[in-house]
Amino acid sequence: MEAEQRGPENARQPDIGDYGLIGDTRTAALVSGAGAIDWMCVPSFDGEPVFGRLVGGPEAGTYRLGPAVPTVPAQRRYRPETATLETTWAVGEGTLVLTDAMVAEVRGQLLPTTLLVRRLTAVGQPVEAVVEFDPRLGERHVRPRVRSGRSLVCEWGPLALSLGSGPELTIETGIPSSFVVIPGQPVTLVLAVAYGEPLVQVEPDAAVELLTADEELWRAWAAEIDGGTPYRDAVVRSLLTLRLLTYSPSGAPVAAPTTSLPEFPGGIRNWDYRYAWPRDASIGVGAFLGVGKAGEARSFLRWLLHASRLERPRLPAMLTLTGRHVPPERTLTGWPGYAESTPVRVGNGAATQHQLDGYGWVLDGAWVLVEAGHKLYSETWRAMRGFADLVARRWQEPDAGIWEIRDDAAHHVHSKMMGWLALDRALNIGRTHRVSQRQQQRWHAAREALAAEVRLKGFDPDGNTYTRSYGSSDLDAAVLILPLLGIEERDSERTRGTVDAIRRKLSAGGPLLYRYPPGRDGLPGVEGAFLPCSFWLVQALAETGRRPEAAQLFEEMLGLANALGLFAEEMDPQTHAQLGNFPQALTHAALVQAALALRESEG
Amino acid sequence: MSAGRRGAASGGGDEMDWAGWAVFGLLATGALTMVMIAAQMAGLTRLDLPLVLGTLVTPDPDHARVAGFFIHLAAGQIFALGYAATFALLGQATWWLGGLLGLLHVAVALTIVLPLLPGVHPRMASHRAGPSNRAALEPPGLLALNYGIQTPAVAVAAHLVYGVMLGLLFQVR
Repeated sequence: MEAEQRGPENARQPDIGDYGLIGDTRTAALVSGAGAIDWMCVPSFDGEPVFGRLVGGPEAGTYRLGPAVPTVPAQRRYRPETATLETTWAVGEGTLVLTDAMVAEVRGQLLPTTLLVRRLTAVGQPVEAVVEFDPRLGERHVRPRVRSGRSLVCEWGPLALSLGSGPELTIETGIPSSFVVIPGQPVTLVLAVAYGEPLVQVEPDAAVELLTADEELWRAWAAEIDGGTPYRDAVVRSLLTLRLLTYSPSGAPVAAPTTSLPEFPGGIRNWDYRYAWPRDASIGVGAFLGVGKAGEARSFLRWLLHASRLERPRLPAMLTLTGRHVPPERTLTGWPGYAESTPVRVGNGAATQHQLDGYGWVLDGAWVLVEAGHKLYSETWRAMRGFADLVARRWQEPDAGIWEIRDDAAHHVHSKMMGWLALDRALNIGRTHRVSQRQQQRWHAAREALAAEVRLKGFDPDGNTYTRSYGSSDLDAAVLILPLLGIEERDSERTRGTVDAIRRKLSAGGPLLYRYPPGRDGLPGVEGAFLPCSFWLVQALAETGRRPEAAQLFEEMLGLANALGLFAEEMDPQTHAQLGNFPQALTHAALVQAALALRESEG
Repeated sequence: MSAGRRGAASGGGDEMDWAGWAVFGLLATGALTMVMIAAQMAGLTRLDLPLVLGTLVTPDPDHARVAGFFIHLAAGQIFALGYAATFALLGQATWWLGGLLGLLHVAVALTIVLPLLPGVHPRMASHRAGPSNRAALEPPGLLALNYGIQTPAVAVAAHLVYGVMLGLLFQVR
């Protein structure tokens, strides 16, 4: 990990994987190895950034707390089974430790909705430290109206931030100020956020107590995860990350807390992921249920029911955290992007696409819940029946597919397989839930027709593999879910041939896979290897009786996580730099699913 | 309400319109609250009266907003009593008189009541707070400017609505 260098002439940004995530399940912040919060939106994940330097350049604001002289961290870690991040620097004879966290549980107490606590502790010798607090709001980097009193208060209309410190420091916005941290006398900074309501200011010592109580909550939460889960540390970190990325007020799982981190530096594949994808979230349902956390799974289904109500039976590809339409995609003018990767986008144009696979993921999530012994509420089952009906009606249409290709719709084999899964799971649930005979027959007929067509048009006999789309010889790593579905026998020649072909032809080196042949998405430039696909490969291998291979691949993948166990969406196959929005819920959900598949294959 | 009802005064010492006070006080407080909430939602102010008042009795912001709403209604009724008494004393109730009383009301609220609030509010920061203080609402400050620079304008508009409504609705016999 290289140290962050400042200065306009030589402004090198930290690697994406250099960041750690802290959050309160309403919003989140990314902290670099230099102690800089370069991304934080308020009042929620999809709000406007107050610290946006990550993709907005120096004008977009930052909040750095760390050694006065930029230093490579000696260690970065989360406190075990908590969301508290610790960064340690060796500075001269002394050591400086930065503790960063947000208070997640504020319900029932007079506390700010978002409370970010940062504490510097020196060990050995006094260490000179610096704080740079430069909040700017939104697209135009608006500077705040500033008031100074017991705390520094920054205001932009309905939004206010208050920064207090103990012992009291003189802090001015935009101007770094130095101070010395003495061993035994930690320095605590408390950032409180108010949106549309009065500020609630919290004394630094009280904030630290709140943080300690929050850590206990996270530990208790993690303790419920089965101790026999293989690779438990990585699984717990992934589940904690998924939980941090779930918007507690509604239960919506956000795909990532960032927008426009590039799928390759300098490229244009920069998308806004601060929304909830029913597809990705359904994978998370399986992950949470697999470790016995039914509450999170049910919470997602509750959100989905609420969110999809207006458009049912159509399932939007994505929704906002409160279940509204995702705003139209637009470009932020003047934003330089991460590593000059422009455009920087907000909103997401893929929201209106028809994606058949989403129905399969959602119905599979509901089936996993039923299989685990839960009964669906009648309203939930009514929604699921509507989804299955839509699939039975529309499966013959082309769609945009899981990769949201911004080109003409096509007959994606993966989408068809997931359509099959939707109907199959609906039929399964129908065995224990009320459904008419006629509806069942309709689903059954569609499922059989769909299977016959996919086997005929989606399979390449020469390559002995299922393909990306009808009539194409391209492969698609999303088809690695084949052994999990039941449309083919797990030990069939076709299944084995498909897994092997994808592993061979889409290999990006080591355990990494491209999602499809690079560059075949109608956009210029290249992209990295797609990390969830590698975990799907682990699952596929485990499910097809190749556990040793699967375990080896899984361990290789774990070795590619950043120092904190976090993954982005993609990775540069050469440098192993994390790429794309970060951290990525889908990757972490796939990691947990892979670990669970390894557990299942143990017996 | 007809002009006849409003203009039916017969000099000082008229009777209080108790029924009018009971009903119109609630209506005017409701209208004031709506203006404040609309302004809050439009991002013009961070003043949240139900929260500020409700945290007098409970630290839970969600419960406080409910309690504060009813405290606010009660306070509105008490202030309406003052309006009704003034109308009765002056022997007339007109929209402009209500508006003038509204301006007086908001001036007292912004310059006296809100700045004094930290002195009685158990969950509001004060400059004399010591180490046992854990978390506290930021005090509104003079003219409630700490809750947004447009807060005084919003408060004036809301109290004008309150006063004008009472002036229009009250009947002086």
